[in-house]
Amino acid sequence: MRADLNPILLVTRTLPLVLTLSVLDPVSAQDAEKSGSPVVVEEIDPIKLAAQRAALSDLTGETPFILRESGWSGTIKPGEARLVQMQFFRRNEYQFWLAMGNRKAELNLNVYDGEGQKVDSDVIVYDETNVASTRVRPELTGVYYVRISLKTTIDEPQKWSMIYAYR
Amino acid sequence: MIKYCLIGALLAGGLQTGFAQGPERINLSDPNLVVVDDSVIPIPLEIFASLDKLGAQNWASQVGKRDIVLDTNRSRTAMLFGLIVSDGFIAVQAEDKEGVKRMGREVLRLASTLGIGSSVEGHANSIITHAGHGEWDVVRKELDRTRQTAVNQMKEMRDEDLVDLVSLGGWLGGTQALAAVLRENYTTEGSDLLNQIDLVKQLKTDFNSLPKRARRGELFSQVEKTLTHLESLMISDSSGAISEGKVIEISLSTRNLVNAIYES
Repeated sequence: MRADLNPILLVTRTLPLVLTLSVLDPVSAQDAEKSGSPVVVEEIDPIKLAAQRAALSDLTGETPFILRESGWSGTIKPGEARLVQMQFFRRNEYQFWLAMGNRKAELNLNVYDGEGQKVDSDVIVYDETNVASTRVRPELTGVYYVRISLKTTIDEPQKWSMIYAYR
Repeated sequence: MIKYCLIGALLAGGLQTGFAQGPERINLSDPNLVVVDDSVIPIPLEIFASLDKLGAQNWASQVGKRDIVLDTNRSRTAMLFGLIVSDGFIAVQAEDKEGVKRMGREVLRLASTLGIGSSVEGHANSIITHAGHGEWDVVRKELDRTRQTAVNQMKEMRDEDLVDLVSLGGWLGGTQALAAVLRENYTTEGSDLLNQIDLVKQLKTDFNSLPKRARRGELFSQVEKTLTHLESLMISDSSGAISEGKVIEISLSTRNLVNAIYES
């Protein structure tokens, strides 16, 4: 164990094999069901889909997270990091899902406050290492940074996609 | 000191002990940091969700009922589009069926004027249909989709100047409603939601980066002045609160700008 790390909740999950359309796209699914017409599917980014697949179980239930339509994507080299600036609001809870293309990719996903200090978060790991998630409850309203990094366990740059939800 | 915590089982995968990797601290002024350009502006519902945790709020009083007179100024129309979508979010929060349906129709009209009507038509119709059934979860999602689809379409059409103006309009509408609700029922706890100085700075930078042709005229001078003024107001004290006086000032300032956008 390393001394420089915060205490966290770490949960392991198995990713669902099938993406349930009605959760991510209730409108198309419902409307298609009513009209009997085929669902119009936009071009799907498989990496974003992996992130969405990981998010599924958190978007249902008694207090589901509400998935935003916005997200981020890009390419990252092993050993590199990217920062995404976010405005968080106290009393809300936020969850991020990050996915990369290569199944052997290993990722880090951390949240920092406006001073650059890492904030405590719950880390959810999946049986596939190229998907990661973290959940944070900000103590103050303000600007935060989500840090994405790719470990050097592989050589090739990776395309990445990140989505988030709140509740 | 080596620290860890063990927490009871939650999910099928079970409970484990673990640590989040990554540095304990990052130097935000490090020139080598790579910050992703795409900024995501919070939608009003994110903010309202936090405020509602402090108790029921009177969102119904914030549902807009204005008539929109369009002109040939596409920058203004883009800001109106953002404002109308944020009005839709407010109407959803107030569960105002007629209000949401009216927004749905206006969204389509404004989108058509901006040349993206066909892209958002499905969303707008869905908003109107599902609002009629009181299916608020679906309406909320469709409103977010409307905004995102419009932004994507504008980027595709190389109308990126309009993207920032849609974001600005959306943020302004939500902030105006938030400040008005806080003004009616001020609490120090709720006031911290207006601690958005970094967001205002970002919006101002984005606005000032627009080509001059996209922000020509009195209305856009007022936009810049208001953002500068808000920058000086949206600073919390050491407890995280924004004073009642500042909340009132933010409310007046945002309302004046919203009025100017509608009436110019």
